[in-house]
Amino acid sequence: MKRSEALIEIDNIHKSFGNFEVLKGISLSVNEGEAVCIIGPSGSGKSTVLRCINGLLPIDEGYIRVGKHRVHELRSEKEMRPLRHQVSMVFQQYNLFPHKTALENIMMAPIQVLGHERAEVEDRARKLLEKVRLGNKADSYPGMLSGGQQQRVAIARALAMQPEIILFDEVTAALDPETVKEVLLTIRELVDDGLTCILVTHEMKFAREVADRVCFTDRGLIVENAPPAELFDTPQDPRTREFLGQVL
Amino acid sequence: MTFELSYDSKKRLVIGGVLVAVAGWIMVDAMAGGAEHWGRVLVRLPLLLTGQGDGWPITGGFALNILLSIASMAMATVLGTLLGISTLAQSPYLRLPAFFIMNFLRNSPWLVLLFAMLFILPFQVEIFGLRIPFPPFVKAVIGLALPTAANLSEVVRGAVQSIHSGQWEAARALGYTTPQIYRHVILPQALRRMIPGWMNLYALLTIATALATVTGIQDVLTILNTSLAMESERVLVYFYLTTLFLFFAYCYPIAIFARRLERAVKGDNI
Repeated sequence: MKRSEALIEIDNIHKSFGNFEVLKGISLSVNEGEAVCIIGPSGSGKSTVLRCINGLLPIDEGYIRVGKHRVHELRSEKEMRPLRHQVSMVFQQYNLFPHKTALENIMMAPIQVLGHERAEVEDRARKLLEKVRLGNKADSYPGMLSGGQQQRVAIARALAMQPEIILFDEVTAALDPETVKEVLLTIRELVDDGLTCILVTHEMKFAREVADRVCFTDRGLIVENAPPAELFDTPQDPRTREFLGQVL
Repeated sequence: MTFELSYDSKKRLVIGGVLVAVAGWIMVDAMAGGAEHWGRVLVRLPLLLTGQGDGWPITGGFALNILLSIASMAMATVLGTLLGISTLAQSPYLRLPAFFIMNFLRNSPWLVLLFAMLFILPFQVEIFGLRIPFPPFVKAVIGLALPTAANLSEVVRGAVQSIHSGQWEAARALGYTTPQIYRHVILPQALRRMIPGWMNLYALLTIATALATVTGIQDVLTILNTSLAMESERVLVYFYLTTLFLFFAYCYPIAIFARRLERAVKGDNI
Protein backbone atom coordinates (compact mmCIF):
# COMPACT_ATOMS: atom_id res chain seq x y z
CA MET A 1 0.00 0.00 0.00
CA LYS A 2 1.45 3.32 -1.05
CA ARG A 3 1.20 6.07 1.53
CA SER A 4 0.02 8.79 -0.80
CA GLU A 5 -3.09 6.84 -1.79
CA ALA A 6 -4.36 6.40 1.74
CA LEU A 7 -7.31 8.52 2.88
CA ILE A 8 -5.93 8.83 6.39
CA GLU A 9 -2.24 8.86 7.10
CA ILE A 10 -0.85 8.93 10.62
CA ASP A 11 2.90 8.95 11.07
CA ASN A 12 4.73 8.58 14.35
CA ILE A 13 2.42 10.68 16.54
CA HIS A 14 3.22 11.39 20.16
CA LYS A 15 0.85 12.74 22.79
CA SER A 16 1.34 13.29 26.50
CA PHE A 17 -1.09 14.25 29.25
CA GLY A 18 1.17 15.94 31.78
CA ASN A 19 4.01 13.51 32.42
CA PHE A 20 2.13 10.52 31.10
CA GLU A 21 2.91 9.70 27.48
CA VAL A 22 -0.25 8.16 26.05
CA LEU A 23 0.87 7.80 22.44
CA LYS A 24 4.47 6.83 21.86
CA GLY A 25 4.75 6.94 18.09
CA ILE A 26 1.60 5.56 16.46
CA SER A 27 1.60 5.10 12.71
CA LEU A 28 -1.41 3.98 10.74
CA SER A 29 -2.89 4.47 7.32
CA VAL A 30 -6.46 3.83 6.29
CA ASN A 31 -7.72 3.56 2.72
CA GLU A 32 -10.99 4.83 1.42
CA GLY A 33 -13.86 2.46 2.18
CA GLU A 34 -11.87 0.52 4.72
CA ALA A 35 -13.16 -0.45 8.16
CA VAL A 36 -10.39 -0.55 10.73
CA CYS A 37 -10.94 -1.74 14.28
CA ILE A 38 -8.64 -0.71 17.09
CA ILE A 39 -8.59 -3.06 20.05
CA GLY A 40 -6.46 -3.20 23.15
CA PRO A 41 -6.50 -2.88 26.93
CA SER A 42 -7.94 0.26 28.49
CA GLY A 43 -5.47 3.10 28.82
CA SER A 44 -3.53 1.97 25.78
CA GLY A 45 -4.42 5.15 23.86
CA LYS A 46 -7.16 3.86 21.55
CA SER A 47 -9.61 6.70 22.10
CA THR A 48 -6.80 9.25 22.08
CA VAL A 49 -5.84 8.21 18.53
CA LEU A 50 -9.41 8.85 17.36
CA ARG A 51 -9.49 12.29 19.01
CA CYS A 52 -6.22 13.21 17.34
CA ILE A 53 -7.52 12.24 13.91
CA ASN A 54 -10.34 14.80 13.98
CA GLY A 55 -8.32 17.38 15.86
CA LEU A 56 -10.20 17.23 19.18
CA LEU A 57 -6.80 16.72 20.81
CA PRO A 58 -3.69 18.45 19.48
CA ILE A 59 -0.70 16.16 19.09
CA ASP A 60 2.76 16.95 20.48
CA GLU A 61 4.74 15.50 17.64
CA GLY A 62 4.15 13.70 14.35
CA TYR A 63 2.12 13.95 11.17
CA ILE A 64 -1.59 13.41 10.53
CA ARG A 65 -3.20 13.82 7.15
CA VAL A 66 -6.90 13.25 6.49
CA GLY A 67 -7.75 13.66 2.83
CA LYS A 68 -6.12 16.96 1.94
CA HIS A 69 -6.09 18.30 5.52
CA ARG A 70 -2.86 18.30 7.46
CA VAL A 71 -4.47 17.97 10.88
CA HIS A 72 -1.32 18.68 12.91
CA GLU A 73 -1.04 22.11 11.25
CA LEU A 74 -4.60 23.24 11.97
CA ARG A 75 -4.75 25.64 14.89
CA SER A 76 -8.23 27.15 15.33
CA GLU A 77 -11.71 25.66 15.38
CA LYS A 78 -12.44 27.61 12.25
CA GLU A 79 -9.56 25.99 10.38
CA MET A 80 -10.81 22.62 11.61
CA ARG A 81 -14.26 23.13 10.13
CA PRO A 82 -13.67 21.52 6.71
CA LEU A 83 -11.99 18.61 8.51
CA ARG A 84 -14.96 18.19 10.87
CA HIS A 85 -17.23 18.17 7.83
CA GLN A 86 -15.23 15.29 6.40
CA VAL A 87 -14.81 13.33 9.65
CA SER A 88 -17.70 12.63 12.03
CA MET A 89 -17.48 11.05 15.43
CA VAL A 90 -19.76 8.93 17.60
CA PHE A 91 -19.08 8.79 21.33
CA GLN A 92 -19.39 6.21 24.07
CA GLN A 93 -21.73 8.45 26.08
CA TYR A 94 -23.80 9.42 22.96
CA ASN A 95 -23.46 13.14 23.90
CA LEU A 96 -26.74 14.08 22.31
CA PHE A 97 -27.90 17.61 23.12
CA PRO A 98 -30.56 17.02 25.80
CA HIS A 99 -32.47 20.25 25.12
CA LYS A 100 -33.20 19.31 21.51
CA THR A 101 -35.38 16.56 20.03
CA ALA A 102 -33.86 13.67 18.10
CA LEU A 103 -34.70 15.35 14.80
CA GLU A 104 -33.29 18.71 15.93
CA ASN A 105 -30.12 17.01 17.16
CA ILE A 106 -29.58 15.69 13.65
CA MET A 107 -30.51 18.93 11.88
CA MET A 108 -28.58 21.41 14.05
CA ALA A 109 -25.06 21.10 12.73
CA PRO A 110 -25.84 20.84 8.99
CA ILE A 111 -27.88 24.05 9.25
CA GLN A 112 -25.77 26.00 11.74
CA VAL A 113 -22.31 24.83 10.73
CA LEU A 114 -22.57 23.86 7.08
CA GLY A 115 -25.25 26.42 6.24
CA HIS A 116 -27.42 23.97 4.34
CA GLU A 117 -31.04 24.65 3.43
CA ARG A 118 -33.43 23.83 6.27
CA ALA A 119 -36.02 21.95 4.21
CA GLU A 120 -33.37 19.86 2.53
CA VAL A 121 -31.72 19.07 5.89
CA GLU A 122 -35.02 18.03 7.45
CA ASP A 123 -35.68 15.71 4.55
CA ARG A 124 -32.22 14.22 4.97
CA ALA A 125 -32.61 13.93 8.76
CA ARG A 126 -35.92 12.07 8.48
CA LYS A 127 -34.41 9.65 5.98
CA LEU A 128 -31.47 9.05 8.34
CA LEU A 129 -33.84 8.39 11.24
CA GLU A 130 -35.58 5.81 9.04
CA LYS A 131 -32.21 4.32 8.23
CA VAL A 132 -31.39 3.80 11.91
CA ARG A 133 -34.96 2.50 12.41
CA LEU A 134 -36.12 5.38 14.59
CA GLY A 135 -38.48 7.09 12.16
CA ASN A 136 -41.19 7.28 14.84
CA LYS A 137 -38.92 8.94 17.44
CA ALA A 138 -38.24 12.19 15.58
CA ASP A 139 -39.91 14.36 18.22
CA SER A 140 -38.62 12.51 21.30
CA TYR A 141 -36.05 14.14 23.54
CA PRO A 142 -32.87 12.16 24.27
CA GLY A 143 -33.96 11.67 27.89
CA MET A 144 -36.99 9.71 26.67
CA LEU A 145 -34.94 7.30 24.52
CA SER A 146 -33.10 4.16 25.59
CA GLY A 147 -29.31 4.03 25.41
CA GLY A 148 -29.35 2.06 22.18
CA GLN A 149 -31.84 4.45 20.60
CA GLN A 150 -29.80 7.47 21.70
CA GLN A 151 -26.69 5.94 20.20
CA ARG A 152 -28.46 5.37 16.89
CA VAL A 153 -29.64 8.98 16.88
CA ALA A 154 -26.00 9.95 17.50
CA ILE A 155 -24.98 7.87 14.50
CA ALA A 156 -27.66 9.57 12.39
CA ARG A 157 -26.38 12.94 13.64
CA ALA A 158 -22.87 12.03 12.54
CA LEU A 159 -24.15 10.88 9.13
CA ALA A 160 -26.11 14.10 8.61
CA MET A 161 -22.79 15.91 8.18
CA GLN A 162 -22.30 13.73 5.06
CA PRO A 163 -18.84 12.68 6.19
CA GLU A 164 -16.37 10.51 4.30
CA ILE A 165 -15.07 9.04 7.54
CA ILE A 166 -16.77 8.14 10.82
CA LEU A 167 -14.90 7.51 14.04
CA PHE A 168 -16.64 5.25 16.57
CA ASP A 169 -15.35 5.53 20.12
CA GLU A 170 -16.45 2.45 22.11
CA VAL A 171 -20.00 3.14 21.03
CA THR A 172 -21.46 0.03 22.65
CA ALA A 173 -19.53 0.15 25.93
CA ALA A 174 -22.29 2.00 27.83
CA LEU A 175 -25.17 -0.06 26.44
CA ASP A 176 -27.21 -2.97 27.76
CA PRO A 177 -26.31 -6.27 26.08
CA GLU A 178 -29.64 -6.51 24.29
CA THR A 179 -29.37 -3.03 22.75
CA VAL A 180 -25.78 -3.55 21.62
CA LYS A 181 -27.04 -5.67 18.76
CA GLU A 182 -29.18 -2.99 17.14
CA VAL A 183 -26.32 -0.47 17.24
CA LEU A 184 -23.83 -2.92 15.77
CA LEU A 185 -26.33 -3.77 13.02
CA THR A 186 -26.52 -0.07 12.12
CA ILE A 187 -22.73 0.25 12.02
CA ARG A 188 -22.41 -2.86 9.89
CA GLU A 189 -24.75 -1.37 7.30
CA LEU A 190 -22.56 1.73 7.12
CA VAL A 191 -19.46 -0.37 6.59
CA ASP A 192 -21.28 -2.32 3.88
CA ASP A 193 -22.22 0.99 2.25
CA GLY A 194 -18.51 1.62 1.85
CA LEU A 195 -18.10 4.41 4.40
CA THR A 196 -14.59 4.63 5.82
CA CYS A 197 -14.83 3.70 9.51
CA ILE A 198 -12.40 3.57 12.36
CA LEU A 199 -13.82 1.77 15.35
CA VAL A 200 -12.44 1.51 18.84
CA THR A 201 -14.24 -1.46 20.29
CA HIS A 202 -14.30 -4.18 22.89
CA GLU A 203 -16.62 -6.35 20.79
CA MET A 204 -14.10 -8.85 19.46
CA LYS A 205 -16.66 -10.90 17.58
CA PHE A 206 -17.96 -7.79 15.86
CA ALA A 207 -14.44 -6.60 15.01
CA ARG A 208 -13.70 -9.93 13.44
CA GLU A 209 -16.83 -9.91 11.31
CA VAL A 210 -16.87 -6.32 10.16
CA ALA A 211 -13.28 -5.08 9.97
CA ASP A 212 -10.95 -5.16 7.00
CA ARG A 213 -8.06 -4.71 9.38
CA VAL A 214 -7.60 -4.89 13.13
CA CYS A 215 -4.96 -2.99 15.10
CA PHE A 216 -3.93 -4.10 18.54
CA THR A 217 -2.59 -1.26 20.70
CA ASP A 218 -0.75 -1.58 23.97
CA ARG A 219 0.93 1.11 26.04
CA GLY A 220 0.77 3.77 23.35
CA LEU A 221 2.00 1.70 20.45
CA ILE A 222 0.37 -0.33 17.68
CA VAL A 223 1.73 -3.76 18.45
CA GLU A 224 0.10 -5.64 15.64
CA ASN A 225 -1.84 -4.63 12.54
CA ALA A 226 -3.37 -7.38 10.40
CA PRO A 227 -6.56 -8.65 8.76
CA PRO A 228 -8.94 -9.96 11.44
CA ALA A 229 -8.63 -13.65 10.60
CA GLU A 230 -4.87 -13.40 10.88
CA LEU A 231 -4.79 -11.30 14.05
CA PHE A 232 -7.36 -13.33 15.93
CA ASP A 233 -6.28 -16.80 14.79
CA THR A 234 -2.50 -16.50 14.56
CA PRO A 235 -1.41 -13.48 16.63
CA GLN A 236 2.31 -12.89 16.20
CA ASP A 237 3.12 -10.77 19.25
CA PRO A 238 3.07 -12.30 22.76
CA ARG A 239 1.21 -9.22 24.10
CA THR A 240 -1.56 -9.73 21.55
CA ARG A 241 -1.77 -13.38 22.49
CA GLU A 242 -2.02 -12.51 26.17
CA PHE A 243 -4.75 -9.90 25.59
CA LEU A 244 -6.80 -12.14 23.31
CA GLY A 245 -6.42 -14.98 25.78
CA GLN A 246 -8.00 -12.79 28.45
CA VAL A 247 -10.93 -11.42 26.46
CA LEU A 248 -11.90 -14.31 24.17
CA MET B 1 -50.18 8.42 73.96
CA THR B 2 -47.38 10.28 72.16
CA PHE B 3 -47.57 12.65 69.26
CA GLU B 4 -45.11 11.99 66.48
CA LEU B 5 -44.81 15.17 64.44
CA SER B 6 -43.18 15.20 61.06
CA TYR B 7 -40.69 17.93 60.19
CA ASP B 8 -43.22 19.62 57.92
CA SER B 9 -45.97 19.76 60.50
CA LYS B 10 -43.54 21.13 63.11
CA LYS B 11 -42.52 23.79 60.62
CA ARG B 12 -46.13 24.67 59.92
CA LEU B 13 -46.80 24.82 63.67
CA VAL B 14 -43.94 27.26 64.27
CA ILE B 15 -44.88 29.49 61.33
CA GLY B 16 -48.51 29.46 62.47
CA GLY B 17 -47.42 30.36 66.00
CA VAL B 18 -45.39 33.31 64.78
CA LEU B 19 -48.25 34.58 62.61
CA VAL B 20 -50.71 34.33 65.52
CA ALA B 21 -48.26 36.16 67.80
CA VAL B 22 -47.77 38.97 65.26
CA ALA B 23 -51.52 39.30 64.66
CA GLY B 24 -52.07 39.27 68.42
CA TRP B 25 -49.50 41.99 69.00
CA ILE B 26 -51.04 44.17 66.28
CA MET B 27 -54.50 43.80 67.82
CA VAL B 28 -53.34 44.57 71.35
CA ASP B 29 -51.32 47.49 70.08
CA ALA B 30 -54.23 48.79 67.98
CA MET B 31 -56.43 48.88 71.05
CA ALA B 32 -53.72 50.73 72.95
CA GLY B 33 -53.81 53.60 70.47
CA GLY B 34 -51.87 52.03 67.59
CA ALA B 35 -54.92 52.16 65.37
CA GLU B 36 -54.53 55.89 65.06
CA HIS B 37 -50.90 55.46 63.99
CA TRP B 38 -51.83 52.82 61.40
CA GLY B 39 -54.35 55.32 60.14
CA ARG B 40 -51.53 57.80 59.55
CA VAL B 41 -49.64 55.11 57.62
CA LEU B 42 -52.70 54.33 55.52
CA VAL B 43 -53.03 57.98 54.54
CA ARG B 44 -49.40 58.05 53.43
CA LEU B 45 -49.41 54.63 51.77
CA PRO B 46 -50.07 55.90 48.19
CA LEU B 47 -47.16 58.28 48.67
CA LEU B 48 -44.85 55.47 49.77
CA LEU B 49 -45.92 53.26 46.90
CA THR B 50 -45.93 55.71 44.00
CA GLY B 51 -44.30 58.92 45.16
CA GLN B 52 -47.59 60.82 44.80
CA GLY B 53 -50.11 61.50 47.54
CA ASP B 54 -52.95 60.57 45.18
CA GLY B 55 -51.21 57.45 43.94
CA TRP B 56 -50.99 58.73 40.36
CA PRO B 57 -48.93 59.48 38.32
CA ILE B 58 -46.13 57.20 39.49
CA THR B 59 -43.05 59.31 40.13
CA GLY B 60 -41.17 57.34 42.75
CA GLY B 61 -41.71 55.43 45.94
CA PHE B 62 -41.65 51.66 46.10
CA ALA B 63 -42.58 51.50 42.41
CA LEU B 64 -39.28 53.21 41.68
CA ASN B 65 -37.43 50.60 43.75
CA ILE B 66 -38.98 47.87 41.63
CA LEU B 67 -38.18 49.72 38.42
CA LEU B 68 -34.63 50.19 39.65
CA SER B 69 -34.31 46.50 40.50
CA ILE B 70 -35.59 45.46 37.06
CA ALA B 71 -33.30 47.85 35.20
CA SER B 72 -30.28 46.84 37.28
CA MET B 73 -31.03 43.16 36.89
CA ALA B 74 -31.36 43.49 33.12
CA MET B 75 -27.98 45.21 32.95
CA ALA B 76 -26.44 42.76 35.44
CA THR B 77 -27.68 39.78 33.42
CA VAL B 78 -25.94 40.94 30.27
CA LEU B 79 -22.75 42.00 32.07
CA GLY B 80 -22.69 38.98 34.36
CA THR B 81 -23.08 36.50 31.50
CA LEU B 82 -20.25 38.13 29.56
CA LEU B 83 -18.09 38.30 32.68
CA GLY B 84 -18.85 34.72 33.66
CA ILE B 85 -17.97 33.39 30.20
CA SER B 86 -14.83 35.56 30.14
CA THR B 87 -13.58 33.97 33.37
CA LEU B 88 -13.79 30.64 31.53
CA ALA B 89 -11.96 31.85 28.41
CA GLN B 90 -8.90 30.03 27.14
CA SER B 91 -7.01 33.24 26.51
CA PRO B 92 -5.40 34.69 29.65
CA TYR B 93 -5.80 38.20 28.19
CA LEU B 94 -9.53 37.80 28.63
CA ARG B 95 -9.62 35.47 31.62
CA LEU B 96 -7.32 37.29 34.03
CA PRO B 97 -8.86 40.79 33.75
CA ALA B 98 -12.33 39.24 34.02
CA PHE B 99 -11.23 37.26 37.07
CA PHE B 100 -9.78 40.39 38.66
CA ILE B 101 -12.85 42.56 37.97
CA MET B 102 -15.19 39.84 39.22
CA ASN B 103 -13.33 39.40 42.48
CA PHE B 104 -12.94 43.13 43.02
CA LEU B 105 -16.65 43.80 42.55
CA ARG B 106 -17.76 40.78 44.55
CA ASN B 107 -15.72 41.88 47.54
CA SER B 108 -16.77 45.53 47.58
CA PRO B 109 -19.55 46.79 49.84
CA TRP B 110 -22.55 47.69 47.69
CA LEU B 111 -23.02 51.00 49.43
CA VAL B 112 -19.40 52.00 48.74
CA LEU B 113 -19.80 51.08 45.08
CA LEU B 114 -22.93 53.20 44.87
CA PHE B 115 -21.15 56.18 46.38
CA ALA B 116 -18.21 55.59 44.05
CA MET B 117 -20.47 55.57 40.99
CA LEU B 118 -22.09 58.76 42.21
CA PHE B 119 -18.74 60.54 42.06
CA ILE B 120 -16.94 58.64 39.28
CA LEU B 121 -19.69 58.89 36.67
CA PRO B 122 -19.98 62.36 35.17
CA PHE B 123 -23.17 64.37 35.11
CA GLN B 124 -23.31 63.76 31.38
CA VAL B 125 -21.07 62.54 28.56
CA GLU B 126 -20.75 63.95 25.10
CA ILE B 127 -20.04 61.55 22.26
CA PHE B 128 -19.94 62.93 18.72
CA GLY B 129 -22.01 65.89 19.76
CA LEU B 130 -24.62 63.56 21.27
CA ARG B 131 -25.27 64.44 24.86
CA ILE B 132 -25.99 61.46 27.10
CA PRO B 133 -27.06 62.59 30.57
CA PHE B 134 -26.37 60.51 33.66
CA PRO B 135 -29.20 61.35 36.06
CA PRO B 136 -29.01 59.88 39.59
CA PHE B 137 -31.35 57.06 38.58
CA VAL B 138 -28.94 55.87 35.87
CA LYS B 139 -26.06 56.10 38.32
CA ALA B 140 -28.01 54.02 40.80
CA VAL B 141 -28.78 51.41 38.10
CA ILE B 142 -25.10 51.13 37.20
CA GLY B 143 -23.95 51.16 40.82
CA LEU B 144 -26.26 48.29 41.74
CA ALA B 145 -25.77 46.37 38.48
CA LEU B 146 -21.99 46.09 38.93
CA PRO B 147 -21.88 43.99 42.12
CA THR B 148 -24.91 42.01 40.97
CA ALA B 149 -23.18 41.25 37.66
CA ALA B 150 -20.09 40.04 39.53
CA ASN B 151 -22.19 37.72 41.68
CA LEU B 152 -24.18 36.56 38.68
CA SER B 153 -20.97 35.76 36.80
CA GLU B 154 -20.26 33.15 39.46
CA VAL B 155 -23.73 31.68 38.96
CA VAL B 156 -23.12 31.61 35.19
CA ARG B 157 -19.69 30.08 35.61
CA GLY B 158 -21.01 27.36 37.90
CA ALA B 159 -23.87 26.53 35.54
CA VAL B 160 -21.59 26.41 32.48
CA GLN B 161 -19.07 24.23 34.26
CA SER B 162 -21.79 21.84 35.36
CA ILE B 163 -22.53 20.96 31.73
CA HIS B 164 -20.93 17.62 30.91
CA SER B 165 -17.68 17.92 28.94
CA GLY B 166 -19.03 15.46 26.38
CA GLN B 167 -21.35 18.21 25.15
CA TRP B 168 -18.32 20.33 24.26
CA GLU B 169 -16.62 17.43 22.58
CA ALA B 170 -19.66 16.48 20.53
CA ALA B 171 -20.25 20.08 19.45
CA ARG B 172 -16.60 20.58 18.48
CA ALA B 173 -16.64 17.30 16.54
CA LEU B 174 -19.63 18.66 14.59
CA GLY B 175 -17.59 21.70 13.56
CA TYR B 176 -19.03 24.32 15.91
CA THR B 177 -16.80 27.22 16.93
CA THR B 178 -16.58 28.24 20.61
CA PRO B 179 -19.07 31.16 20.39
CA GLN B 180 -21.49 28.89 18.51
CA ILE B 181 -21.12 26.17 21.13
CA TYR B 182 -22.03 28.65 23.85
CA ARG B 183 -24.99 29.94 21.88
CA HIS B 184 -26.51 26.72 20.61
CA VAL B 185 -25.41 24.04 23.08
CA ILE B 186 -24.09 25.27 26.42
CA LEU B 187 -26.09 28.39 27.31
CA PRO B 188 -29.55 26.93 26.51
CA GLN B 189 -28.77 24.14 28.98
CA ALA B 190 -26.96 26.31 31.52
CA LEU B 191 -29.78 28.86 31.52
CA ARG B 192 -32.18 26.43 33.15
CA ARG B 193 -29.68 25.72 35.91
CA MET B 194 -29.08 29.44 36.38
CA ILE B 195 -32.70 30.41 37.00
CA PRO B 196 -32.83 29.65 40.77
CA GLY B 197 -29.55 31.49 41.41
CA TRP B 198 -30.65 34.34 39.19
CA MET B 199 -33.90 34.74 41.12
CA ASN B 200 -32.17 34.61 44.50
CA LEU B 201 -29.85 37.33 43.31
CA TYR B 202 -32.79 39.37 42.05
CA ALA B 203 -34.43 39.20 45.48
CA LEU B 204 -31.16 40.35 47.06
CA LEU B 205 -30.84 43.17 44.56
CA THR B 206 -34.38 44.36 45.22
CA ILE B 207 -33.60 44.55 48.92
CA ALA B 208 -30.40 46.44 48.12
CA THR B 209 -32.28 49.07 46.07
CA ALA B 210 -33.03 50.73 49.42
CA LEU B 211 -29.36 51.77 49.39
CA ALA B 212 -30.03 53.89 46.31
CA THR B 213 -31.50 56.53 48.57
CA VAL B 214 -27.94 57.89 48.82
CA THR B 215 -28.12 58.94 45.16
CA GLY B 216 -31.06 61.18 45.99
CA ILE B 217 -33.66 59.48 43.80
CA GLN B 218 -37.22 59.55 45.12
CA ASP B 219 -37.31 55.93 46.20
CA VAL B 220 -39.39 54.64 49.07
CA LEU B 221 -36.73 55.36 51.67
CA THR B 222 -36.11 58.95 50.52
CA ILE B 223 -39.85 59.65 50.57
CA LEU B 224 -40.13 58.02 53.94
CA ASN B 225 -37.41 60.25 55.34
CA THR B 226 -38.86 63.48 53.92
CA SER B 227 -42.46 62.73 54.86
CA LEU B 228 -41.50 61.59 58.32
CA ALA B 229 -40.23 65.03 59.11
CA MET B 230 -43.89 65.98 59.45
CA GLU B 231 -44.88 63.00 61.58
CA SER B 232 -44.62 62.44 65.30
CA GLU B 233 -41.78 60.27 66.54
CA ARG B 234 -44.08 57.54 67.80
CA VAL B 235 -45.44 56.94 64.29
CA LEU B 236 -41.93 56.28 62.92
CA VAL B 237 -42.08 52.66 63.98
CA TYR B 238 -45.25 52.05 62.02
CA PHE B 239 -43.89 53.60 58.84
CA TYR B 240 -40.71 51.58 58.99
CA LEU B 241 -42.63 48.38 59.71
CA THR B 242 -44.79 49.06 56.66
CA THR B 243 -41.76 49.65 54.45
CA LEU B 244 -40.12 46.47 55.70
CA PHE B 245 -43.30 44.60 54.92
CA LEU B 246 -43.41 46.03 51.38
CA PHE B 247 -39.96 44.62 50.64
CA PHE B 248 -40.83 41.33 52.32
CA ALA B 249 -44.06 40.97 50.41
CA TYR B 250 -42.25 41.50 47.12
CA CYS B 251 -39.09 39.45 47.73
CA TYR B 252 -40.29 36.48 49.77
CA PRO B 253 -42.49 34.97 47.04
CA ILE B 254 -39.54 35.26 44.66
CA ALA B 255 -37.28 33.44 47.11
CA ILE B 256 -39.93 30.73 47.65
CA PHE B 257 -40.39 30.30 43.92
CA ALA B 258 -36.61 30.12 43.39
CA ARG B 259 -36.31 27.42 46.04
CA ARG B 260 -39.09 25.42 44.44
CA LEU B 261 -37.42 25.69 41.04
CA GLU B 262 -34.12 24.69 42.56
CA ARG B 263 -35.70 21.53 43.87
CA ALA B 264 -37.29 20.88 40.49
CA VAL B 265 -33.99 21.30 38.64
CA LYS B 266 -32.02 19.11 41.04
CA GLY B 267 -31.73 15.52 39.91
CA ASP B 268 -32.83 16.54 36.46
CA ASN B 269 -30.13 15.58 34.01
CA ILE B 270 -30.97 18.44 31.71
